[in-house]
Amino acid sequence: MLLQAQVDRLDACENRKPLIRRDSNVPKFVVPNSASLRNARSFLAGCDPFADTERPAVLELHPKWIYMEPYALAMIAAWGGWCRRHDLPVTVENIGRHANYAARMRLFEHLDVDYDPGLREREETGRFLPITRVQKRSEIGSVIGDVSALLHLDDDPESLAAVQYCVSELLRNVLEHSGSPEGAFICAHRYTKRQPHRVTVAVADCGDGIAAHLGRAHAAALADDRAALGLAMRPGITGALPGMYGTPDNAGAGLFITRSMAKGTGGYFFLHSGKAAYRLRRTPSHDEQLLLFVDAYDEDRHDSWVFDHAWFGTVVSVEIRTEHIADYEGFFQWIFRQIPGRRVQERRIRFT
Amino acid sequence: MSEEIKLWPGANGFLEDKDLARSIRQEKILPALDRGESVVLDFAKVNYATQSFVHALIGEALHKHRDAALGLLEFKNCSPQLRSLVELVVDYSLGGFATEQAV
Repeated sequence: MLLQAQVDRLDACENRKPLIRRDSNVPKFVVPNSASLRNARSFLAGCDPFADTERPAVLELHPKWIYMEPYALAMIAAWGGWCRRHDLPVTVENIGRHANYAARMRLFEHLDVDYDPGLREREETGRFLPITRVQKRSEIGSVIGDVSALLHLDDDPESLAAVQYCVSELLRNVLEHSGSPEGAFICAHRYTKRQPHRVTVAVADCGDGIAAHLGRAHAAALADDRAALGLAMRPGITGALPGMYGTPDNAGAGLFITRSMAKGTGGYFFLHSGKAAYRLRRTPSHDEQLLLFVDAYDEDRHDSWVFDHAWFGTVVSVEIRTEHIADYEGFFQWIFRQIPGRRVQERRIRFT
Repeated sequence: MSEEIKLWPGANGFLEDKDLARSIRQEKILPALDRGESVVLDFAKVNYATQSFVHALIGEALHKHRDAALGLLEFKNCSPQLRSLVELVVDYSLGGFATEQAV
């Protein structure tokens, strides 16, 4: 197991690594040997998925070994939908047995690529939620039911509820705000073999993106993708109204709460839209987990990147470190207390 | 007169369907409050709910009727999680979000 100091050094190395830039005009995803959240910067910089729409699209896999986390899988599946929208067939290079995990996650089905891993289909239960496309709000309930059935968290209802919460909020964000013709692509994996025990959920779309959505009410979002991400992660910001009260249907607190769930358990939080990406790294101590900031850029352990190429849509990944939820006496009460209210007067709420 | 509304969750007692919340709000809660009648929201079957659900359920009523809505709304059988969630939504619906550091 890596010590936190080693992990910090690896994160720092990743931030210093020179970026691989691909200058061809082929719409392309390049999957290195590791497409993890830790390596997110180099993974994203090495891809140009929305280049020239006149040329066939390519998914280039590392020839020998690939490790993919849910955010990469969800992104590539969403991109497959974008390619289909533009009548671009996708070719996969270096496909083989080392891509069997991606096949089990149904990545190639979403790219319309035939690949038979030659293995008996294994039971999904207890490990992962394969990539699922969600186009209607009425489908969200069944995805939440699948999360309950597949991730086997029944003996840990607070963790299960935290995962369900993230699934609901992230899917609704896409279906209510993104304008994505293909809807949302979601997948999740429960990691239990090695520490830290965790569930990672990722949702990606190729819709309008955060800047375009928030820009309807907040001019600053249109001017700068990085600023747009910052606004999206604050509570009370919606694309409908410039004020801090939301609308009858939206308060604009979803991404703040999901970010709080990741931070509160010490897990990664990742948000990417347009040319900007934000990553909150894992938190090494319980005391630091308890320290949340309204402005995500005030977090000590964050990375903020601006790339040459934009992601046409939004990607969110939340890591819930399930082993830490029991540290709280009421995880959800703690989360809800983090949202800064004004508490200007005594409220007389009638609970019976 | 009072309107009693029982809320039914999905898997794991989890309630998140904002479309359901919207229809309850528009068809039952707002008309009852407009008539000056009380509304009882019964969460007996619910273990967890999203802030988005509770916002869609009561946020507009609080905006429209302000503190008077609190005199007419009753929250029945709330788990501790739900209780803190209702307190949160009431707080920001009547007072807005603050902008300082969260803790």
